[in-house]
Amino acid sequence: MRETWVVGATQNRFGKMKETAREAATRVSMEAIRQSGLEPKDIGYTFVSNCFGMSEKQGHMGPLVNSGLGIPHVPSVTVESACSSSSAGLHEAFVHVAGGFVDAALVVGVERVSHLDTLTATSYFAVGADYPFETKNGATFPGLYATLASAYCQAYSTRPEMFGAIAIKNHANAARNPHAHFQKEISMETYLASPIIASPLRLYDCCPFSDGAAAVVVAAKERMKSPVTEPVVIRASARAGSVTDMHDRPDLLGLPAARIAAEKAFREAHLEPKDIDFLEVHDCFTIAEALALEDLGFFAKGTAIRAALEGTTTRDGKLPVNPSGGLKAKGHPVAATGASQVVEVFEQVNGLARGREVPKTGTALTHNVGATGGSCSVHIFSRR
Amino acid sequence: MSDMLVEAPHTIEEFVKGYEEGGTLRGLRCANCGFVTATWGVGCSRCGCFPLDETVLSPKGKVVAFTIQTVPGDEFLNDAPYAYVVVDLDGGGRVTGWMPKVRAENDLAVGERVHFVSSYRPGVQFAKDSESAPSG
Repeated sequence: MRETWVVGATQNRFGKMKETAREAATRVSMEAIRQSGLEPKDIGYTFVSNCFGMSEKQGHMGPLVNSGLGIPHVPSVTVESACSSSSAGLHEAFVHVAGGFVDAALVVGVERVSHLDTLTATSYFAVGADYPFETKNGATFPGLYATLASAYCQAYSTRPEMFGAIAIKNHANAARNPHAHFQKEISMETYLASPIIASPLRLYDCCPFSDGAAAVVVAAKERMKSPVTEPVVIRASARAGSVTDMHDRPDLLGLPAARIAAEKAFREAHLEPKDIDFLEVHDCFTIAEALALEDLGFFAKGTAIRAALEGTTTRDGKLPVNPSGGLKAKGHPVAATGASQVVEVFEQVNGLARGREVPKTGTALTHNVGATGGSCSVHIFSRR
Repeated sequence: MSDMLVEAPHTIEEFVKGYEEGGTLRGLRCANCGFVTATWGVGCSRCGCFPLDETVLSPKGKVVAFTIQTVPGDEFLNDAPYAYVVVDLDGGGRVTGWMPKVRAENDLAVGERVHFVSSYRPGVQFAKDSESAPSG
């Protein structure tokens, strides 16, 4: 396999986009290509992710983005893996470049849902679950993660403040991130006073419905030109799956796909959790951040829920987690989230994360879950 | 089905009709490892073997996890709050369902005995044994 690098990564501000998904995807793509020192014509393949394009009466996004970039003859494909779509796209790009099929590839994720009402958006988000066996029985997306939280609280000793500390930490980080949907800090009082959405999860345990777009350009080392920014090498690109229906898994205390993908990634990179300087993990709900840290092997089962409250995972803690603000506060434009996690790694490395810098940026890990863990991507990146 | 493809013991539509019209929870049992599920498939999600055999799931069980849904999806718009439950059925099989009469966290406990009830409403519906006697 060829050494494969991230040579450009950028995103727009998450929240509410006035422009269409097509326009946003094309514009962030051009900026990521500019960062890379490449030109659009250097792109050998485009991997586009856009889960809810039909809400804008638009599918087949790849040729539209490529045409808008002036490279209509470059092949493209839409990669869909629910909330892990654009990290799945990154994996495909990695495979194509590392395998020598193309020298450079574009990954772009985009979502626009703010024109939908809450009920419609809630129903859209639930399509990643199993409709006849979960959704039709009354589950919403928050409801499914609340069920995981319920099982966690039953198995381990927890307090609401432990969940709250995760939300507070991620809001504090997002308050320093100009890309974030929510750029405001919250207090424990605000957290505890927020209404229950699906017990035990409150409003501030939940990520928002966000619009947004993020793009990543990857290239083989020998094809890199003069990147505007410092590239990062992809040390591992791993994906795994687990039974879609959570209740058919051996237990409800983690996501098997995340555990398997992490094991693969660490093996591929010849690294261990102790080698990782900071993480961007899939915190669509606060419980998801705790489960991620346990599935990835950074914390023993039942202990990660305390990490934020104890200060371990804050920006200046021993293991900074979600310095971007995470899905929880930076926002979760479903198909853009995986690529956006790479943007945070790229900005931390390049000194672009001003005001939210983590102490060490040598090696970082991203963890991006599809729905309730039917799919999961884990990537590891290093500076050289 | 009369095509050349592998046949499943039942279709998803037959599963839904089973509980909506027949009052029965249809399930699948792995001939190799014995794993029992209500979730449709042609191979076992636990051991990877096939075929799966048709089985009828018990209507009785106990709650292993639940949440009170206060913000529902579109098919349950007028039902919230209600409980979304994961239930371990007696004799094997873990299913999900909803409980329209459970409206607050204190109304239900993990470990509580519940039973399946037939309803004209969508989804697999459960009720507490302590509120109405299970049939069958």
